[in-house]
Amino acid sequence: MNGHAKRNRSIFIVLALAPAIILMTIFMLYPVLSVFQMSLYRWGGYSPDKEFIGFQNFVTLAKDMNFIRAMQNTIVLIVLVTVVTLAFALVFAAILTRVKFKGVGLFRVIFYIPNILSIVVISAIFSAIYDPAQGLLNSVLRLFHPSNWQGVQWLGNEKLVIWSVAIALIWQAIGYYMVMYMSAMASIPEDLYESASLDGATAVRQFFTITIPLTWNTIRTTLTFFVISTINLSFLLVTAMTGGGPNGSTEVFLSYMYKQANTNSAYGYGMAIGVVVFLFSFALSAILQGITKRDVYEF
Amino acid sequence: MENKHTGLYKAFVYLVLILLAIVIVVPIAWVFLASVKSNAEFYGNPWTLPKSFHWENFTSAWTTAGMGKYLGNSVFVTALSLILLIIIALPASYVLARFHFVTQKFWNWFFMLGLFINANYIVVPIFLMLLGGDNFFTKILGHGIFLNNLWMLSLVYASTALPFTIYLLSNYFRTLPASFEEAAYMDGAGYFTTFLKVMAPMARPSIITVILFNFLSFWNEYIMALTLIPGDNKTLPVGLLNLSAAQKSAQNYGQLYAGLVIVMLPTLILYIMVQKQLTEGMTVGGVKG
Amino acid sequence: MKKRWLLTAVVLVASTALLAACGSGSTKNSAKSSGSTSKTLNVAALEGGYGSAPWKQVVKDFESANPGVKVKLTIDKKIESIISPKMKAGDYPDVVHLATGRPDGLTETMIKSKGMEDLSDVKNMTIPGEKKKVSDVLMPGFDGTLATEPYGDGKTYMMPMFYAPTGLFYNKALLKANGWTEPKTFSDLMALGEKAKAKGISLFTYSTTGYMDSLTYSLLADIGGKSFFNKAMSYDHDAWSGKDGTQYFNLVGNLVKQSDKTTVANANNENFRKNQQLILDNKALFMPNGTWVTGEMKDAPRAKGFEWGFMALPGVKADTRYAYTYFEQIWVPKQAKNKALAKKFIAFMYSDKATKDFLKGGAVQPVKNITSQLDAEQKQFYGIYDNGAKVLTGSFQSAKAVEGVNMTDTLFGEITSVTNGTKSISQWQQDVVKAADQLRE
Repeated sequence: MNGHAKRNRSIFIVLALAPAIILMTIFMLYPVLSVFQMSLYRWGGYSPDKEFIGFQNFVTLAKDMNFIRAMQNTIVLIVLVTVVTLAFALVFAAILTRVKFKGVGLFRVIFYIPNILSIVVISAIFSAIYDPAQGLLNSVLRLFHPSNWQGVQWLGNEKLVIWSVAIALIWQAIGYYMVMYMSAMASIPEDLYESASLDGATAVRQFFTITIPLTWNTIRTTLTFFVISTINLSFLLVTAMTGGGPNGSTEVFLSYMYKQANTNSAYGYGMAIGVVVFLFSFALSAILQGITKRDVYEF
Repeated sequence: MENKHTGLYKAFVYLVLILLAIVIVVPIAWVFLASVKSNAEFYGNPWTLPKSFHWENFTSAWTTAGMGKYLGNSVFVTALSLILLIIIALPASYVLARFHFVTQKFWNWFFMLGLFINANYIVVPIFLMLLGGDNFFTKILGHGIFLNNLWMLSLVYASTALPFTIYLLSNYFRTLPASFEEAAYMDGAGYFTTFLKVMAPMARPSIITVILFNFLSFWNEYIMALTLIPGDNKTLPVGLLNLSAAQKSAQNYGQLYAGLVIVMLPTLILYIMVQKQLTEGMTVGGVKG
Repeated sequence: MKKRWLLTAVVLVASTALLAACGSGSTKNSAKSSGSTSKTLNVAALEGGYGSAPWKQVVKDFESANPGVKVKLTIDKKIESIISPKMKAGDYPDVVHLATGRPDGLTETMIKSKGMEDLSDVKNMTIPGEKKKVSDVLMPGFDGTLATEPYGDGKTYMMPMFYAPTGLFYNKALLKANGWTEPKTFSDLMALGEKAKAKGISLFTYSTTGYMDSLTYSLLADIGGKSFFNKAMSYDHDAWSGKDGTQYFNLVGNLVKQSDKTTVANANNENFRKNQQLILDNKALFMPNGTWVTGEMKDAPRAKGFEWGFMALPGVKADTRYAYTYFEQIWVPKQAKNKALAKKFIAFMYSDKATKDFLKGGAVQPVKNITSQLDAEQKQFYGIYDNGAKVLTGSFQSAKAVEGVNMTDTLFGEITSVTNGTKSISQWQQDVVKAADQLRE
């Protein structure tokens, strides 16, 4: 490569990257840095006096039982949503790519639809499903119970409600991940399955020995997506459907951050929660990437 | 024997698929049905069929509640954000995926880290930054130019979507064989021509996926829109918030559900238009094949 | 295939261009109005249940009474989200009509950060266009409490607006049909609960735990009088942990345990009207609420013969019953640019003209002659003070913000846990005492 071409190449690289880097710096890097900065202050949000308190906000956080509960709820949701969605999405993706029968296209179209709905719609839907008196779920269950059955308080029982939130999140996520896994599975060569069939491997065995290993990279990557999107969507859904209640039993990271920063006049404290959320999601993803590292199977 | 076995298996699979489809279709059909109910019907059992069709819910949401105007704003913001996003993200993804240079690893990390930033806590700093700019321009021009500006909102949307978009697009670019570029260079094409004429068109499936994903998030976004557009140029989701009445006042449920459908329909239509291409373009999880 | 894409693109671009034209048109307009030379007063008001029409009329009246003054009214159902980002950056409205007790707590935050202008002199101002002073017309009992003097130092920082008595709502017809009478004391109330249970009717329900505030305040005053109420409102340790405090927790705890089974599940912003519907459907007997609830539920179906009944909360003793009155607040931020004009505007809120304008939308201003102008239904509600109930206003004293500690979240939020039995009454009391201790320091 001569000098001229080299220069052209550099110019191309710079021009292609510059707009993205500039916008990222202005609208993401700078705001995040100012969030980090604010987390070191005690500031109500309006008064001109900001008091620098170092890491005091983080010390308070470590002892704040409400924050710890919000963190537990978030972790429970991440685990539940990831495990259940992953299992369902993988199995359905495998079925829809492997089993040849009529209507596959239609099912694929339908399964994705929940993902395109706004969270407000999902909240309205699940409020109607979980309604204790006339909800869909209790109406169906009532068929199997005596007439004086009280019904399950899906959103009223503090131990149950986090599961109810998780189900709504899973309902919304399955299609999205299913389509992702399908696109990975579609590129697995057919002859691998054929030779396995000849060796007498069942469909279930093929799923574990061929499909899973060969989509492993995609699965690993989606783990990061699960972490990020569950943190975000759980906030939007909880805000719309339960308001964090009953009595904080569905409070999650970002809803607690919002309450502290806005309702409780502790803006600096809220931003400290923002910092924890950022570090937490990053660290969790890194850990997940670490422990799922396998030799990539070639095909 | 073998046939009977697979037959049973298929029937079982069918049954499970149909069950899941029902679990999805019924609630969505419910939203559509609810949107034509009369106000009083919302206080009773939510699962009864509408007694009659109250199409006036839609006209009242469209005109009285201003959803018609907000729809226009949303179309504008979403379209502009998508155009900006593709123009900015496509070349960056291409370079990050297919060129090797000294700082490449650093920039890959830079964009990856962006994935973990949540718009909910950076919205206030962004607002303050834009407001600072506006205060400056008010001194010169007599009015601000950053806030209450749908163009600015689009730029912010495009910027915050960059990490995920670049991630998806560069993953896709990595899967393309090198022979295409080599052939283009052989023909004497420069870097710009090769990118525009050869590589960008090849990324089409992935671009469609990116458009759909980001369409959904831009279309439904309300926290940024609420903060950065304090004036009348509301977007649909913000308008929807206003349809749900404050506590202590009568809720016009029919109007609210009609509003929900107005927000939902364009996403359904776009999805059905592009759903065939959706699987092709979704390549995550690094190099394959 | 290609053609279809092209078409889509063309349509998108065309609509984009069209909308861009509309968009820029409207920005120009707003720029023009803000750049006018006459004195502009920025008023931000919450659009509550009374709608925005009365406010627009009042603003118009104020403008015509004050030539050269232009009022820029921003009114919205979520006014906080419009003004608070601007305020964070130093751009303050001149007048804010926004009460305490909203989910976002902007007014509380302003109190905590000492960001309000002293309005003590407004009471001595002459109402614009009239001869009377504000203090001449203001209804007694609405000033001198923590709701207008949040620091308890005798200085008024917020002026009262739109009042609404609270108490228990019920179905008159249901009581009559069963031969039950209105309970006058808490023990009557609980005894009625036993009778109702036999008929499959729950004694109680509440919209959300936030609605337990009025009941709590009234009951505290019932138990220990106004002095005890004020002590409790200033986070006094003994008030919450002592004998009177314990009585409060036991009374409320045992009452909410009689709530309808579905109450907790629906006690959120999405579904709280379903709890109010329980009264209309004869599934629950009583709910604490304010006078707005009849308008809020006007479209809802109801049991045959249903008739709204309203009474002050039963007392501990029959002869001392307090009925807490909600009122909204109007205030001036310290950083407002036109403070003098802002005060004049607030004084105007108590003029004949303004009170009539507000009344047309159903909003009742706390002025002396107002009850004579009310319609029959409103008279039933606003008349409870004529039937022996005592006026109670005010709420928690402003405390400095303590990270992670929130009194109303603890005192009211935990009521759901007591209702469904997750928390015992004594645990609830302990948590409240702890929060009070942290906030008092």
